[in-house]
Amino acid sequence: MSREKLRVAVVGLGKMGVLHASILNILPNVQLTALCDKSTVILKFSKRIFNRVHVVDDVEKLSALDIDVIYVTTPIFSHSLVAKNVYSREIARNLFIEKTLASSYDEAKEVCELAQAFGGVNMVGYMKRFAVTFRKAKNLLTQETLGEVSSFDAYAYSSDFLGSKKNSKTSASRGGALRDSGCHVVDLALWFFGDLQVDSAKLQSPTEKDSENSVYFRVKKPSGLEGKFSVSRCMENYRLPEMGLLVRGSKGIMRVNDDKVSLKLKGGKSSTWYRHDLNDNVFFWLGAPEYVREDEYFVKSVLENRSAEPSFYAASKVDYIIDQVRYRAGRNE
Amino acid sequence: MSNERKKMLLVGDNPFHGISHLSQERARVRGDAMVYPEYAANLVMTSLENGADGFMFSVSEMTLSILRIICEMGGGRRLRLYAIVPYAFEYVRLATQIGTPGLIKKFAKQITVSRNVRAIAMGLKGVVRTDPVALLKTYLIYEISRIKSSAGKQANLDSVLLHEIITDMALALNLDWLFKSYMDFMLELQMKPGFNTRNFAYLVKKFGDWNLDLRETIIVTPFNKVGFQMNPSQIECEKALANLPEPNTIAISILAAGYLKPPEAINYIRTLTDLKGVAVGVSKEHHARETFKLLKENLV
Repeated sequence: MSREKLRVAVVGLGKMGVLHASILNILPNVQLTALCDKSTVILKFSKRIFNRVHVVDDVEKLSALDIDVIYVTTPIFSHSLVAKNVYSREIARNLFIEKTLASSYDEAKEVCELAQAFGGVNMVGYMKRFAVTFRKAKNLLTQETLGEVSSFDAYAYSSDFLGSKKNSKTSASRGGALRDSGCHVVDLALWFFGDLQVDSAKLQSPTEKDSENSVYFRVKKPSGLEGKFSVSRCMENYRLPEMGLLVRGSKGIMRVNDDKVSLKLKGGKSSTWYRHDLNDNVFFWLGAPEYVREDEYFVKSVLENRSAEPSFYAASKVDYIIDQVRYRAGRNE
Repeated sequence: MSNERKKMLLVGDNPFHGISHLSQERARVRGDAMVYPEYAANLVMTSLENGADGFMFSVSEMTLSILRIICEMGGGRRLRLYAIVPYAFEYVRLATQIGTPGLIKKFAKQITVSRNVRAIAMGLKGVVRTDPVALLKTYLIYEISRIKSSAGKQANLDSVLLHEIITDMALALNLDWLFKSYMDFMLELQMKPGFNTRNFAYLVKKFGDWNLDLRETIIVTPFNKVGFQMNPSQIECEKALANLPEPNTIAISILAAGYLKPPEAINYIRTLTDLKGVAVGVSKEHHARETFKLLKENLV
């Protein structure tokens, strides 16, 4: 990129859209240029609040604004549609899409193909990769501190829908527990261990299509590694969504979650690192440090014209796993 | 600045909401006792008896119940209140469940049901004229009235503080008019406008750029020995604190969410002579006694 400041537009002004818009606005090499949403009320207020930013009601209207980067933060079901629109109308070549990339693997593949054809830098918002504890865990695995990894248990729990009487339209649009928070831990497992195959799966309380509240599934790799996932958005006492993994290796075990990494080696040595020990400060804190790191990294990748991870391709593997889980669960496998 | 200045000591409410920034697991293990407002009210009263001056809390059904019990116990008059709005966790959770439009509808219904005429009138104005400042005022009137009706007429509501998610988002978006409108409105109500932030150094700089008078405000922000949640760095936050025209800053997270023991945490806080006070959460009666006794001996 030859520009000093990237011209960025955010499509979808829900809470994630506003969060990214705010972070982008403070990045020194970004000019928040446009915001896009369908809601009349949101548009009206956005025009009053953001007086130096174009506010539009249709993605196509961004094409006149010389946009370099688009952030897609609409509900999951519309991600692929917006992405197709952006690429086919050549509105921008660089896309960031909030997780999950699409609402099915087929849609995800289409978006990947378009991204491949049009070039540019692309990334999906699996921000847990930017949390200091999960980064530390990834480093320990890369350094083979645990030796040969044989198995893992992964979880993603929240109380978000505990006591929720019915599956609202919003609940359904979030795509169930798997797409809501489970996808983060699936992405982490793929990042840590590489490609995985679903072995068996069970969904609980699937009151609407693709809107399950709890999921259990097993995965494996040809190398023999086995993993178990437990995902629920109706757990008691999970005030904040929490995810983590327990990893077993030939040299010991490691536990990692949002708060800490603990290592217990067979020789008796054990260590624990909290966020406090892992340089968690950022130049500006909003939401969580990982959001800021994620946006900084993506913007830097675009400016330097180098690929960013998790790319659309890497993220499409999460959609593949989710589809496999639903397929296996549907067949009671 | 003198080391002799009395620092204000406040009880924080994080443990009452099941929050531990060290570990969510730790918050769960702490058990159910913390969810009983009677238990929490007793902890606040014990803290008051051992040196605390007041209570800093997010405005939620839980903390309003605590205030009602304290008021019944006769503790209201002694208590200085620092209220943080909105209780972001609850609003984010609702937005997750019912979406942002659903959240707006639910909130509008709450205000209507409250029969707070001033809030309803201001809210209507905000909607009809698409006026975000009028909506902010509506929200503040509604929350202040909830606090006052729970804490009793004798309560000393020193400050209403904007939650960090609002403060920091407004900072990032350069919304100087929002800060100014908020400050003017709070001063009109004869209360100190307050800001909870995790970007203390940046806030101080921006207020300087915008010519907003920091002496008129209360700032609540993390300060601790290990620099936890002090952005961009511990050094920058310390420099910003030293350059303030007068002490208006209340330190939170002084124990770095339980990572530090109180004596070592307090030794660091003692070096920050420009702080106005500290807020610390307690989860057990002996914690309340020991922590505030220690704070009083060392900081007051």
